[in-house]
Amino acid sequence: MEKLNILVLEDDKLAQKVMAAQLAGHGVEIAGDLKTALKKLETARYDIGFFDLMLGPSDDYSGLKAIAAAAARGVYAVVVSSSDSNEIIDRAYELGARDFYAKGNEESNVAEILRKFAQGRKAAKASDIFSAAFITGDPALKEAVTEALKYAPSELPLMLLGPSGTGKTSLAKVLHEHSGREGAFVAINCSAYTEDLLEAELFGYRKGAFTGAADARKGRLLEAHKGTLFLDEIGTMSLNMQMKLLKAIEERSFYPLGSEKPERSDFRIISATLENPQELISRGKMRFDLFQRVHGYTVDLKPLSERPADVFLLAQHFMKAGRRLSFTAEARQRIADYSWPGNVRELKKFIDLLSSGGEGRVGLETVQKLLKGSPVRAASVAGGLEEVYTDALSRGLEAALDMVADELIGRNLKENGGVRTKTLADLKISTRLLYASLRRMGELPEEKK
Amino acid sequence: MTADASKLLHDLKSKCSSLKSAAELYKNCSAAEKKEMLALMTAAAEEITRTLAALSKLS
Repeated sequence: MEKLNILVLEDDKLAQKVMAAQLAGHGVEIAGDLKTALKKLETARYDIGFFDLMLGPSDDYSGLKAIAAAAARGVYAVVVSSSDSNEIIDRAYELGARDFYAKGNEESNVAEILRKFAQGRKAAKASDIFSAAFITGDPALKEAVTEALKYAPSELPLMLLGPSGTGKTSLAKVLHEHSGREGAFVAINCSAYTEDLLEAELFGYRKGAFTGAADARKGRLLEAHKGTLFLDEIGTMSLNMQMKLLKAIEERSFYPLGSEKPERSDFRIISATLENPQELISRGKMRFDLFQRVHGYTVDLKPLSERPADVFLLAQHFMKAGRRLSFTAEARQRIADYSWPGNVRELKKFIDLLSSGGEGRVGLETVQKLLKGSPVRAASVAGGLEEVYTDALSRGLEAALDMVADELIGRNLKENGGVRTKTLADLKISTRLLYASLRRMGELPEEKK
Repeated sequence: MTADASKLLHDLKSKCSSLKSAAELYKNCSAAEKKEMLALMTAAAEEITRTLAALSKLS
């Protein structure tokens, strides 16, 4: 870990000594009282500050003032307390504290805070991620991923939603790499197994547990010990299997098939599904209690057709591994208009095919041959009246107008933070129109007939 | 519980936590550090005793 500049505000001499020992290897300065701490904050730059709140037996939580001063200077302020009330801790967070730990067991507490700080700093450099590990130029997706990266070092489960091929596994790997967890990234696609096989895959089995189990095998849950278990297409898991998985998540222990000895595993879950989990629950396909356990923070990965700017960004990236290609204007237009139903995976295959072909400069004919009979992306308001008109001729006026309404409503909702009543007032529309649009955009379940 | 007793208990917990953490560190200290650490731990223990005495007067 890089050497950090750390300020410790602590009046107790023994506690000062303990903190200095735990932070050995970093640049540590100790302040025994508030005045010294404030002066140090004014004159030097610190990465982290550990602040005791009650400085002496009769003090009135004057450490809070140091937290406010530290937060104002961008210092990662940590409350160190022995038994302060929730009210005082809440006040510390309001003033800008970023973390908290109860005194005692400093060895693991301090190490955990330094780890979280380092991971948070890494997440702040997320812009690098978007040009290498998870390529996107889409502002909304960048924002969602940046937010998810903040939770990467925590124990919070993460859920990734989006159609097949949108990069859920890539994103799960990025989140694991930023988690600071020392264990492995273990991925399993739940839809690829029957119930029995999935159970054996997840929990492992003893030799002779079933016909064909010639040797014992470690399950994915155990392989993910101290790491990340990525459960892709979790919605396809049977309810029975969901119940078994839920028990393993809650107890952090499970029995391999044929074994009477429980295994323990400290894994963090990232799950993904193609379908809306709320709909899966309402259709009885997903247990609500499992959903509660796996959906801590959710990232919605839009299909490639909804982030057209990403098509050429990704294409450039895929070309780095192989041949550099260039496209004629017509070919570029056809690629841009294509709806990419297979998303990023389909684009990768497309570039791979072109790279292994004979042309360095790719023309419309080649592109059309590879994307033959494939759908064209729906028109958008951004394309102007001409595009809407073409859309109306193709799909009918009503469908084209619905698309216009959806884009305007979607934009307004985004601008006002999703407050629907404000959108009703801003756009002077009826509740009926708003809800019909939300249903078309997949924000609400379909109306029951 | 009075405000004074509450603050004394807070102080007591804080000092006990420090003493416990120092005891965990002690085994890995050099001889010179052990001497310094012991002095600090003894002073903390004396303060704990004084805090307990103050607490007993309040109850």
